[in-house]
Amino acid sequence: MVERGILSRYDFRRPGVKLVYGLVILIIALMVVSMLYPIFVTLFNGLKTNAAVNSFPPTFFPDGWHWRNYREGWQFFDMPLYLRNTLLIFGGNAMVIFVVLGAAAFSLSHLRVPYKRAVTTFFLMTLFIPPTTYIIPNFVNIKELGLMNSFWAFWLPAGANAFYLLLLKTFMDGIHHELFEAARMDGASDWRCFSRIALPLSVPIYSTLAIFIFSTAWNDWFWPSLIMHKSTMYPLSTAIYKYVIGARQLDLNIRFAILSIVMIPPIAVFLLFQRFIMRGLQLGSVKG
Amino acid sequence: MFVLPAAAIFIVFLWLPIAKGFVYSFYQVDFVHGNTFVGWDNYRTVLSDRDLLVAVRNTLYFVGLCLTIGFWVPIFFALAVSELRRFQGFVRASAYLPNVVPLVVLYGLWRWFYDPVGPINAALQALGLDSVAFMTDPDWSMISIVLMETWQQFGSAMLIYLAAVLSIPRDWYEAAEIDGAGIWARIRHITLPSIRNLVLLMLVMQLIATSQSYQSQLAMLDGGPMKATLTYALLIVKYATTKLEIGAASALGVLMFLVLALLAVIRNRLQDKGAGA
Repeated sequence: MVERGILSRYDFRRPGVKLVYGLVILIIALMVVSMLYPIFVTLFNGLKTNAAVNSFPPTFFPDGWHWRNYREGWQFFDMPLYLRNTLLIFGGNAMVIFVVLGAAAFSLSHLRVPYKRAVTTFFLMTLFIPPTTYIIPNFVNIKELGLMNSFWAFWLPAGANAFYLLLLKTFMDGIHHELFEAARMDGASDWRCFSRIALPLSVPIYSTLAIFIFSTAWNDWFWPSLIMHKSTMYPLSTAIYKYVIGARQLDLNIRFAILSIVMIPPIAVFLLFQRFIMRGLQLGSVKG
Repeated sequence: MFVLPAAAIFIVFLWLPIAKGFVYSFYQVDFVHGNTFVGWDNYRTVLSDRDLLVAVRNTLYFVGLCLTIGFWVPIFFALAVSELRRFQGFVRASAYLPNVVPLVVLYGLWRWFYDPVGPINAALQALGLDSVAFMTDPDWSMISIVLMETWQQFGSAMLIYLAAVLSIPRDWYEAAEIDGAGIWARIRHITLPSIRNLVLLMLVMQLIATSQSYQSQLAMLDGGPMKATLTYALLIVKYATTKLEIGAASALGVLMFLVLALLAVIRNRLQDKGAGA
């Protein structure tokens, strides 16, 4: 319980203040409702009969709990395949980011690197270049490298992320240098210092990053639709965009059941790992 | 050397495409027959394209709408929520929840919301108002997209502001109150100045982010109706994907880069200032 904010206990005795405060609380309540309403609509619509979703004016609560919609949605297309693709992209991205960027961050903050300032600038300069301006050359580049229709087109570029590097480096700057000196005294190599000291100590930042990487992999629909031309390679989001959002033949209730299936995992992740996400958000305020 | 793999990846997947963007803007890119140098032709093509003007205007309109609809909302709610004595955690979590809704779900959901017989129009009718063609009316389509994006994104901005508001020492308010400062004076002279740098930083970041917007416009309306949601970035994508003019798309990218680089420099200045304060 906060002792006082902008308002003090004395302010609350004045009826005018009470009235305005009540009004503000009402607005906040409205905000909360309008934030939650669409999410519940998605979940509930996925449980209605098709006729109930199409009724006008729409009803909020389902006319029954039609769990069968979920089975139908699951079977509408090859959901397990797309899910597997998304998870493959997530796993590979995470591996590359953790190892490659982790090693780079470690050496930039704790090892001797020639021209360290220049090298750091070389990495961080890329933060200032808006990604949309080179999205097309980037695509052509992937094409010229022969990486089309390959998961490497996600895994390798995932490592080219200055923002994650910055987060890792800032975190590793906070690890005491003496730890590594002591380890080196005992004969540990640079690699051992990294894998046995820096990595385990960086678990908090890695978990925050993992959530970022997960939500990016789960969300991204446009870039995969440029890179992957075989429909068996689509990640879930792209498949949904191609087959569900634009579909005309698909009943609304099934559509919402599919959307619910896609929506539930990130919401579960959020509710489980709220603390990491809230911290990531503070870090995220430096993101461009 | 531990930096080398990262450096290699940065060169191949970041610096190389950035450099190629400049190079391609002077070439006609042909995947089959090889590229040919065409000088300023690509720039001439895009600059004489009528759609360019439309796209620039739409982008400015979009950025402006995001500012008028979306920018003050998180600040207001951060102030309001900071004064909540109970349920603050719940309000925070629910404000942030739309952020984790996947984009494709967002599109599917809001397409239904904006439907002529969807829930919003039902509510409007219940209130005795005329129904709105959110998606098909060119006057409304961009507004609809901004509303949708504000719904999704304002929570994270609010939490960032909220953290700043909550970090203001309580004693300052106490002292001001003893000196006879009213509530409004406290907000005006203590709260707002304390978060001023953050507000400026967020403003520039929002400008940079919104001026590059194209995904929602593409997914919801494909730039329509009547090019009302054709933004600049979407024009780039369209040049490359439907017209297959990679060179022209690259030229558009270079032009955009020149404008946005300026904003990025400003952001950098602000960030340094924010870190020092």
